[in-house]
Amino acid sequence: MAAVTEAPPLAPATPKKKPPRKRGRLTPYWLLLPGILWLVVFFALPMIYQASTSVQTGSLEQGYKVTWHFATYWDALAQYWPQFVRSVLYAAAATLLCLVLGYPLAYLIAFRAGRWRNLIMILVIAPFFTSFLIRTLAWKTILADNGPVVGALGTLHVLDVTNWLGWTSGDRVLATPLAVVCGLTYNFLPFMILPLYTSLERIDPRLHEAAGDLYARPWTTFRKVTFPLSMPGVVSGTLLTFIPAAGDYVNADLLGSTDTRMVGNVIQTQFLRILDYPTAAALSFILMAAILAMVTLYIRKSGTEDLV
Amino acid sequence: MTTDNSGDVRLSGISKTYGSFTAVHPLDLTVPQGSFFALLGASGCGKTTTLRMIAGLEEPSSGSVHLGDQDVTHLPPYKRPVNTVFQSYALFPHLDIFENVAFGLRRRGIKSVKKQVEDMLELVQLGEQARKKPHQLSGGQQQRVAVARALINHPKVLLLDEPLGALDLKLRRQMQLELKRIQTEVGITFIHVTHDQEEAMTMADTVAVMNAGRVEQLGAPTDLYENPQTTFVANFLGTSNLIEAEVDSRNGDEIILKAAGAKLTLPGARCSAPATAGGKVLVGVRPEKVSLTHADDAGEVPEGRNRITGRIADSSFIGVSTQYVIDSPVCPEFEVYAQNIDRDARLTPGAEVVLHWNPAHTFGLDAAQDIDAGVETVEADEGVAA
Repeated sequence: MAAVTEAPPLAPATPKKKPPRKRGRLTPYWLLLPGILWLVVFFALPMIYQASTSVQTGSLEQGYKVTWHFATYWDALAQYWPQFVRSVLYAAAATLLCLVLGYPLAYLIAFRAGRWRNLIMILVIAPFFTSFLIRTLAWKTILADNGPVVGALGTLHVLDVTNWLGWTSGDRVLATPLAVVCGLTYNFLPFMILPLYTSLERIDPRLHEAAGDLYARPWTTFRKVTFPLSMPGVVSGTLLTFIPAAGDYVNADLLGSTDTRMVGNVIQTQFLRILDYPTAAALSFILMAAILAMVTLYIRKSGTEDLV
Repeated sequence: MTTDNSGDVRLSGISKTYGSFTAVHPLDLTVPQGSFFALLGASGCGKTTTLRMIAGLEEPSSGSVHLGDQDVTHLPPYKRPVNTVFQSYALFPHLDIFENVAFGLRRRGIKSVKKQVEDMLELVQLGEQARKKPHQLSGGQQQRVAVARALINHPKVLLLDEPLGALDLKLRRQMQLELKRIQTEVGITFIHVTHDQEEAMTMADTVAVMNAGRVEQLGAPTDLYENPQTTFVANFLGTSNLIEAEVDSRNGDEIILKAAGAKLTLPGARCSAPATAGGKVLVGVRPEKVSLTHADDAGEVPEGRNRITGRIADSSFIGVSTQYVIDSPVCPEFEVYAQNIDRDARLTPGAEVVLHWNPAHTFGLDAAQDIDAGVETVEADEGVAA
């Protein structure tokens, strides 16, 4: 081997080749730099800043100082735990609804849409061309007290049921938990459909044929083959829906009432109106930790590590 | 067992059209119980479509499919006593090998599958791999899992759709023998779709050669090889030398033909074309049936043999034999495969030679056909099979 590398024709070329090789070794790091800078400036620094804010004490007039006052966390949790619970419940309900509504649609696009596939995909994404706020405000009109939806629900006695469940109150849908969950579901539905579609579309159609060939009826084929294989999509879809929904405050703000305030609303109020920065920062970290814990548990439970 | 015909597959007038394209022309075919049947053809010839119609994965446009006495034409695949080994195996990636093999049993509500699955994995020599996922196995192993997954259900008929297409040559030969062994062992009807003529001939008892949605010829491999009825079969199955000749006269059971000055004899029984004096016939002979003698020794060629002259254009030594391409007035690229027993050193490119063969090995085809039908199709479509 040594004789080959030391062969005379190669010798003069070796010193010339060395510098570019050195630069080549550094190239990946140069390429990573913009991304790392971005993360540092827009993620790491704000996180550190917020973390320090959360353990400060003081007032707006006299300024805040880091006093390692961890009690802010306990106080915030003690005071706002109902909003936390509500956030998790609403986000979970919206995620479940998204899954129930989104799965058939994603299935349809992936396997049955044929030449309509692109059109339906565009329709799924189309709402993104309008502002989040405008879309949520539109739901105010849809669910208006004198609107056709509430009228129809009243006539069909659906409102009686939802009233009894505590999802609505009186003859109203607006300003009730139902309205907030509807808004959340609507706004985050595409985040469920797109990953579901991607993972369904990847399934080899021959696997369906093979299942049918091995005596599985269509429903069994779905349960035993299609659904398990779409688990990566289900997991990422539910995460992409649940995480932003749990922290959302716009839907609760526009479609809800003081009784439907979520933790996002509390944080927003603390930051922007009450100007109690430590409490707001502490709430943000509690929310983050809670979501992180739930997501970890969920991924462990769904056992999709080797599928993702 | 002799009277059991439940494994017979009967296709009556079955056809498949997609819009204006006819994939399979109305086709009648009977595959007897327990036979190893091959559907052979180039890609797009309709063989896979035919197989899928038997499996129930494709609804025939007309005709009916019977398994034994049961009409299964309109039964969905999960109600047919038929299983398929798919071209790319279609193993379930989320299930381990054991569960893949157990899939069919579980769907039929069989609770204790352990023994059966283990026995089946033993049959295909994969007992050790039961708890692995499909992607952890090699191509050959995956192929065996696919076979096991289908066979465990004891289907009346096992359908194999190019099952060896993804394997390399050596493994393919090994799997051919393996499949043949399994078929003999279990005695189930196998219908095997392939574009590899050698594979079809090695494995199957009966081969149906398909071309453009029709069965060109059906028979035992030796029968197809020795007595091709069409130019497609003659060229697709092995290699044939086809000579355009004119019928000169009939002499009892023999037809005497003329081709560029040469006089050739053809047994009447081996001519699938009407042979009237003055009519054209394609005369065929397989390359290995032909002997090569140097022109200087022309006198030593025994009487009664068909003989033509030519010049060696090319020769390639491939170990057991030498393949010559002869430029002859009757056929520009006449191929001869000579066993390397006593090699004549004079037989090199440029040498004048006499080609001669036993008239009994000659076959006659209808001259109205495309003389090149089926040539080279196998190589051109390798790996892109339908």
